[in-house]
Amino acid sequence: MSEALLDIENLSAGYGDFSAVNEVNMKVEKGQIISLIGLNGSGKTTLINTVAGLHRSSSGRVRFKDSDITNLSAEKIVSKGLSLVPQGGRCFNRMSVQDNLLMGSFPKAARKKSKETLCRVYELFPDLKEMRKRPAGTLSGGQRQMAAIGRALMACPDCLIFDEISLGLSPAVIKDIYRRIIKINQEENTSVILIEQDTQRALKASDSFYIMLKGKIVLSGKSSEIDSETLRKAYFGI
Amino acid sequence: MSDKRLQRPVRVLDSLPMLIVCIAVVSVLYAVCLLRIASNNAMRYMIQIFLYITMGQMWNLLSGFAGMTSLGQQLYIGLAGYSVAIATAKLHLTLGVGLVMSVAVSVVVALVLSLLLFRMEGMYFSIATWVVAEAFEKLFLSWKYVEQGSGLTIRVVPYPKIEEICAVSLTVCVMSIAVVYLLLRTRTGLGLTAMRDNLTAASAVGVNVFNHKLLVYVIAAAFTAVSAGIFFVNKGIVYPESGFGISWTVSMIFIVTIGGSGTVSGPITGAVIYVFLQELLAHYPGWSNIILGAITILVIFFLPKGIMGTLQEKLRFEIFSAKRFSFAKHK
Amino acid sequence: MYFVQILVNGILLGSVYALLGVGMTMIFGIVKLTNLAHGEFVVLGAYLSTVLAPMLGVDPVVTLIITVPLMFLSGFLLQYFFIGKAMKKGAEPALLVTFGLSIILQDAMLMIFSADAQHIVASYSMSTIKIGELEISVLHLVLFAISVVSISTLTLFLRSTHTGRAIRATADDSDAAALSGVNVNRVYAIAMGIAMASAAVAGLCVGMKWTYYPSSGGGYLLISFVVVVIGGMGSVPGTMIAGVLFGLAQVIGGANYGLLISYVMLLAVLVIKPKGIFGK
Repeated sequence: MSEALLDIENLSAGYGDFSAVNEVNMKVEKGQIISLIGLNGSGKTTLINTVAGLHRSSSGRVRFKDSDITNLSAEKIVSKGLSLVPQGGRCFNRMSVQDNLLMGSFPKAARKKSKETLCRVYELFPDLKEMRKRPAGTLSGGQRQMAAIGRALMACPDCLIFDEISLGLSPAVIKDIYRRIIKINQEENTSVILIEQDTQRALKASDSFYIMLKGKIVLSGKSSEIDSETLRKAYFGI
Repeated sequence: MSDKRLQRPVRVLDSLPMLIVCIAVVSVLYAVCLLRIASNNAMRYMIQIFLYITMGQMWNLLSGFAGMTSLGQQLYIGLAGYSVAIATAKLHLTLGVGLVMSVAVSVVVALVLSLLLFRMEGMYFSIATWVVAEAFEKLFLSWKYVEQGSGLTIRVVPYPKIEEICAVSLTVCVMSIAVVYLLLRTRTGLGLTAMRDNLTAASAVGVNVFNHKLLVYVIAAAFTAVSAGIFFVNKGIVYPESGFGISWTVSMIFIVTIGGSGTVSGPITGAVIYVFLQELLAHYPGWSNIILGAITILVIFFLPKGIMGTLQEKLRFEIFSAKRFSFAKHK
Repeated sequence: MYFVQILVNGILLGSVYALLGVGMTMIFGIVKLTNLAHGEFVVLGAYLSTVLAPMLGVDPVVTLIITVPLMFLSGFLLQYFFIGKAMKKGAEPALLVTFGLSIILQDAMLMIFSADAQHIVASYSMSTIKIGELEISVLHLVLFAISVVSISTLTLFLRSTHTGRAIRATADDSDAAALSGVNVNRVYAIAMGIAMASAAVAGLCVGMKWTYYPSSGGGYLLISFVVVVIGGMGSVPGTMIAGVLFGLAQVIGGANYGLLISYVMLLAVLVIKPKGIFGK
């Protein structure tokens, strides 16, 4: 059996005495799209923030490409090839779009080929090329998400995590962004984790899914095989 | 895990026995002052401790409880020093009138400044308070009526006996503690703590932020002024630099940090330590600030809640608790 | 003509005030820390140049070759191993640590250098040049050149290097910067290094222009504050404009009213635009 690209084992994390993530197990294979769905406050963001190094775990292990990345700092995890597009994009508002993208290739390995990657990103997002001199703070919500995705791509990641990429965007823009995510997945063979509240869209895009509730994974499986009733029950915990 | 700790309630020592202990301690202190049990020298230390407790208490009320970190309380110290000096030396009034004047002047200045200062938050507020104090220093340095830089002498006739000064200082000190304690246990106190923790949220749930800030700021100005007034009677002369200097804030920060910010008992402990430390360090000229600075840094690294804050957490009791209900603390 | 003379002097001196503010604004904008020890750093920079210039037998300006790297390194280590640790405990502890540092440094300098007034003298300290009716002090021109060169170098560095970009990104959003592969603690340390290096330059400038004492730090801290707040925290162009405004106030108001005018100016700015001219 081949080792998974990202392997989360019994991971727990919390804030003070409050445990937000409770012994979560999750596997992501190379080239797979995974969706992680759940209600507001179910612990999705804490889970992936812990994986990406923004939050410390209290127990458990995270393995990525056969090396232990548990509780490494965020910048070390990025240079290993795991990138997170945080909620709301979090662009550097006072910097130009191009500077935002170039920031994405800050890790040494990515810096060497930043010119080629930049061309590739502009190919994927022609809008960004047009706006490359504008400060990121002046972009619209959808454009800012694109810039954030572009920035994450600049690190040449093997695995990309999107935290609620569709939050606050119009259905047309969401559709467009999803189309590009799938394109990235197919053309670069990049594994993708989609964190979503919009169950239908996430399931449609992904190969397999995990449902999180109150800090625990309550259901997982192949996205195509789940019926809506089981899903609804797991999602709301009834 | 910490579950066991959580179930142990915090003992809040503020019931009747605590009140009796307090009254007893205060009575003994009054007796020591008025019956001249202590030597003049000891009494001088006591006066200093009482006055520093008052100033520390007020700075703590501003910074530790209301989140208004002021770097400019020396404004009211300087104003009080000059009020007392002008009242006694220029207008030939009694010391009592001088002290009342110092409070009145400070309250008026605080009310006027509040319009300006309360437009700012956090860092900007801190800097603005300091700048105002510096501006007043420059003003007094070039003001002919107060003899500019050469300072103003305080002429109190008849000069009060040391035990009287001691008793008055004690009264001011007890009053300041009582006011802070009572203030914190009213609805206002709840509003203040909410403001410190999150200003926007506090105003969203209906805390009148301006009025709360004003109340605290004016109380702090008044008490700081009256204690400073007494301080300068002891010194006999006030200069712009000695009145409006930043070193007053240095002392207040030290007292509150060492004792424990956000506790009523913290500034009391801090002031006692500060006065003794100052005395001790007087033998090592040049080293005093180095040692005070090092102690501050060590306390921040190893006792981030100050002496009283850490003690209360370790032993799980609270003297003069600001809480109206006692919850077991999380963490 | 009198008006032009004042304007020129104000601008020349203003560059020094801007320089004082730059280190403060860097730390506030990037590390999100109010550094109460900045004034002492400036005075330390002045002492280093005062001691080194006669020792090496060179013009005081040349001492920057030693003081700037030395102060940069101290700032880097100080932040990385010390202030950074305090910042993990919260904003107030970090502020108090810089406060503790400032009083320690002040007394340490008092013991090492005594309480005597110090002044850095260069061969051109007293000379002036005349352009028409305009009389310009050579010293002011030198100070202006030093300030402009330092601030431009810094701006260029921030704008066009990888590290500079990482610094700007961290100032905008430190979490997002970490997610882009930036070691945020290292960036903070570099920022503190730059702030202390700028304090070395500012120290040389104020030491050449005015007499100073170990206790002068508080005054310089306050000036930095005033300049930075007028300009808007974290904004280098704002700091430069505010520096010139401050310089003009000093020249117009003279020794007695210069500071008073600038304090009133600051309070007026704060009332009208509570976050400074360029603040957001």
